[in-house]
Amino acid sequence: MNAKARRRVERLYQGKKYGVGLLFMLPWIIGFCLFVAIPIGWSLFMTFNKVQVSVGGFKYEWIGMRNYRDAFLKDNVFPIELITYFQEMLLMVPIIVIFALLISLMLNQKFPGRFIYRALFFLPVIFATGQVLSELFLQGAGDIPFLEQYNLLPIVEEYVGAQFAGTVMDILGKAVLILWYSGVQILIFIAGFQTISPTIYEAVRIDGASPWDSFWKITLPACVPFISLNVLYTIIDLFTFPLNPVLAHVRDNMFKVDTGYGYASALAWIYFAFIFVLIALVLWLFNRSLKTRRAHS
Amino acid sequence: MITAVKTEFERIGRSVRSVFWGRRAQKAKLLVIGRNVSDGLIAKLIIYLLLSIVAYLYLQPILYMVSTMFKTMSDLLDPTVKWIPREVTWENVTKAIKGLQYPEALRNTSLIAVTCSLVQVVVCAMTGYALARLSVPFKGLITALIILTFLIPPQVIIIPLYVIFSKMGLLNSLFVFLIPAIFGQGLKGALFILIFRQFFRSQPPSLEEAAKLDGASTARLFFGIMLPLARSACLVVFLFSFIWYWNMYYEPSMFLAKGFTPLSIRLDMLEEVLNPTLLGNTRTITNPITEGTKMAAAFLIILPPILIFMLLQRWFVSGIERTGIVE
Repeated sequence: MNAKARRRVERLYQGKKYGVGLLFMLPWIIGFCLFVAIPIGWSLFMTFNKVQVSVGGFKYEWIGMRNYRDAFLKDNVFPIELITYFQEMLLMVPIIVIFALLISLMLNQKFPGRFIYRALFFLPVIFATGQVLSELFLQGAGDIPFLEQYNLLPIVEEYVGAQFAGTVMDILGKAVLILWYSGVQILIFIAGFQTISPTIYEAVRIDGASPWDSFWKITLPACVPFISLNVLYTIIDLFTFPLNPVLAHVRDNMFKVDTGYGYASALAWIYFAFIFVLIALVLWLFNRSLKTRRAHS
Repeated sequence: MITAVKTEFERIGRSVRSVFWGRRAQKAKLLVIGRNVSDGLIAKLIIYLLLSIVAYLYLQPILYMVSTMFKTMSDLLDPTVKWIPREVTWENVTKAIKGLQYPEALRNTSLIAVTCSLVQVVVCAMTGYALARLSVPFKGLITALIILTFLIPPQVIIIPLYVIFSKMGLLNSLFVFLIPAIFGQGLKGALFILIFRQFFRSQPPSLEEAAKLDGASTARLFFGIMLPLARSACLVVFLFSFIWYWNMYYEPSMFLAKGFTPLSIRLDMLEEVLNPTLLGNTRTITNPITEGTKMAAAFLIILPPILIFMLLQRWFVSGIERTGIVE
């Protein structure tokens, strides 16, 4: 067989290979175009327009960047809510991730009855999304009991300053519900611990390392990828937090006559841009720490 | 004399030391403190204690839900009755069943959750397999786009989606969720695709090579070998998907407002059903009179998924550990 024929056979083979792969991907590709790409383009287009609902459909009036400018200059709710929510989120993400890490460390130990506890800690995932959660929150079921018994506000104010005290108190008030958001994260950590080989622990114990040392020197470094995964998951999860004031504001503006879909879409895009920057930052930080760690070892 | 006392003291000292440092004492010490942190009794007690405290905090709202749903009107209004109602009433439950139109809404929600989750398992597994093992042009770009679909908040695209669905005539029916699921765009589908991709990547390639040598087509290989092999991943994806479809609120509040109403929307409308005089923004009002009924309704909504989770819990947790979701 000469080279030409061989190349032709190879190309045929390649085409066949790609064909099967594409066939498997086809549903997703169609779905992406129809239900993601078109809506994204459309919604981006809307943000540059004043959109009005008329009988036959939408009426567009090109106004350029005005929706974006209005969001920061005219709207006296949106920027404040955005900033407050980001403050809250920056506090909530570490709380959730650290809490999940501690709980999963404990659940990873061998003790009788741990299956029951594992099931218990996953339980909130079942209803920590959606309406049941906001209903419970509305009834004040998520309060920590000691918060009312001891007047904590002055203490908090003393330590973190008056302007952040409100945020901190808000979060303390939601504490139980926030902790409910750590079900998936706990699972990810537990699954992550299984990837660390037990022989390493054995080896360092023989070398005389205390459990304290082996946590800081082995468990924690091995967990960095899972921590980053959990941070990302938590950020994305908090997007759709049912008590999220920013999203409520977006929804309100959708059905107002003077603002409409165009403005609401612009708000959603600004929100998305902020989150996107945050996620990119987290990814960059963790990638860098992983790289330096690899360089050291 | 003095030396005799000294030796006596030394002997006592030695015997005391031997009590503390003898072999049996060593064993006891090992039992209490342990070789690893987790082996000792003290550590175990601390772990039990901490976990129980946190578990109590976790469960408190559920306990509150259950205790409130059995309270009578007078108990609800009486602030001295906190946890245990003076007499148990089923009135709230019957009211909630009526207010939610429970049988119909339950049917709608379970239809959506079961069919969409089943479809999602198959489609996401196919897509994940293609990304992990088959050659697809622009694979990197496609993976990036999948992650993008996971990151985009639904609020950004909900209005265009509404228009598209209404043009296709899918609104207020099961298909408004089923059709996107068939095309790999179900609820959090991107996450499931990535889970499957990770799973298939971690499998040894020898199995596929052997099947290929035997002349199996890729489709046969996938449905006959790889999909059954991915049982644990399938179960994890199905359960997550089921729970998220069960609980979703935002999308159905747009797409299913006028028909095929699921439980989550009915719960939202419950206050108005119970209290027709309270028009306007009822969502921010806490009404002690309807609280019992609402808690009963909330409990009725989470009951089916809790039962399913309890049945499958064993396989679920071990499935997650074996799936290699996190690698």
